[in-house]
Amino acid sequence: MTTTTTDDLPFGLGVSLYSYTDDIGVTMTVEDCIADVADLGATGLEILGEGHIEDYPNPPTAWIDAWYARNERLGLTPTLYGSWIDTRRFPGRGMTAAEGAAQLELDLRLAARLGFSFVRPKIGVISEDLRVDPIWQEAVERNLQLAADLDIVVCPEIHWPTIIKSPVVEEYLEFKERTGSEHFGLLIDTGVFELSPYPRRGGSASFRMGDGSARPPVVPFVPVSDLADVMEHTVYFQAKFYEVDDDLVDHYIPWREIIDVVIDSGYTGWLSSEYEGHHEPYRAPDQLRRQHALIRTIAAERAAAAPALADRN
Amino acid sequence: MLEEQLIQTAGFRNVGPEGARTGFQLRVRSPYYRGLWANLIEKPTVTVDGERFDGDGIRWTLPGGDFSFAELQEAADARWPLGHAATLTVPRDGGLARGLHDVTLELRLRMSYIPEELQPSIWTASRKAVIVK
Repeated sequence: MTTTTTDDLPFGLGVSLYSYTDDIGVTMTVEDCIADVADLGATGLEILGEGHIEDYPNPPTAWIDAWYARNERLGLTPTLYGSWIDTRRFPGRGMTAAEGAAQLELDLRLAARLGFSFVRPKIGVISEDLRVDPIWQEAVERNLQLAADLDIVVCPEIHWPTIIKSPVVEEYLEFKERTGSEHFGLLIDTGVFELSPYPRRGGSASFRMGDGSARPPVVPFVPVSDLADVMEHTVYFQAKFYEVDDDLVDHYIPWREIIDVVIDSGYTGWLSSEYEGHHEPYRAPDQLRRQHALIRTIAAERAAAAPALADRN
Repeated sequence: MLEEQLIQTAGFRNVGPEGARTGFQLRVRSPYYRGLWANLIEKPTVTVDGERFDGDGIRWTLPGGDFSFAELQEAADARWPLGHAATLTVPRDGGLARGLHDVTLELRLRMSYIPEELQPSIWTASRKAVIVK
């Protein structure tokens, strides 16, 4: 198992290259982004397999060699590899469980070649309330032994409008209990704790979902107290955020509450930042630094308060 | 590196021999945050100066080859990787006249993790672009 440490923090701090979506290929190369993750003081590196690996799914050997050399030089640990099981990939028919398993196997093996410890498959849905395509259980179960052999934890993502107390999460937890696998867990995207809707602007094109009149489901964001109930199954956090202001205040994601639950539970894994604010080039590198300054401030306050709390007890 | 706008300045050109143009091309940056299997591309619409061209006749050139829309749907391994422009070839007898044109692209990609009722995802980008010859 690779190390999960960032300075003297009780958890690891990482960054997902997803954060740089509006810069990658326009103002920065993938390699520029990786250098920026190290420059801002993070030690964990999260990527999207289909996004950031040259010639996916068959990267040149030279690319892999450069990946390892660069991470070594920059002090970065590969954390999570984001993957997809595109269940609606084939026009006119669904995906079979065998095809889903093959896609996940491909990504697990590639993630292992690059030194990752976690793989997040994003799986297709079959209903408006985001029930996951039922092939997922067989597709994942067929790969649990492989995941164990590769020392990788497979972790589906709990991402709004899927929330913590939902049939989808119940299904994941039943699967975990049934298989008894230690190589399956939950990834929590902190966007589920959003306090108010973020008015995102920008983008190089106008965007809409669907040609019809369907509207996204109305699902409330959830209190951080829901998180405590699933911490024992949580293996990874995508620290989703939109904006941290000039006073290092995040008006949209309640970091103090989240970090309280994280630390109190004894979690020592990764918080991996996912910037998803205004779609504007040059913004992510600045916002990532603000968020890490904020998280480090909160962790330092907690560390300073801890002896006092211990005395009181 | 590509321009931030989806329809790239470079690559907007006529195709076919001079005097007998068969159509025109535009180069497109993917606005999606990942590369994707080419089967997940749905029919785009290109509009030039009010004239619409539907996706059935538009050919796609990706790093892995050149595809009709039908071939794209059936391709087993073709991908549109992040950071690589796709070239769309649109048939039009005579091509486009030299000069500026109002070009609009509606790009459609299918995302399995979003409910089908809300798909495909559609990006609409417009710009003026120049045909040199």
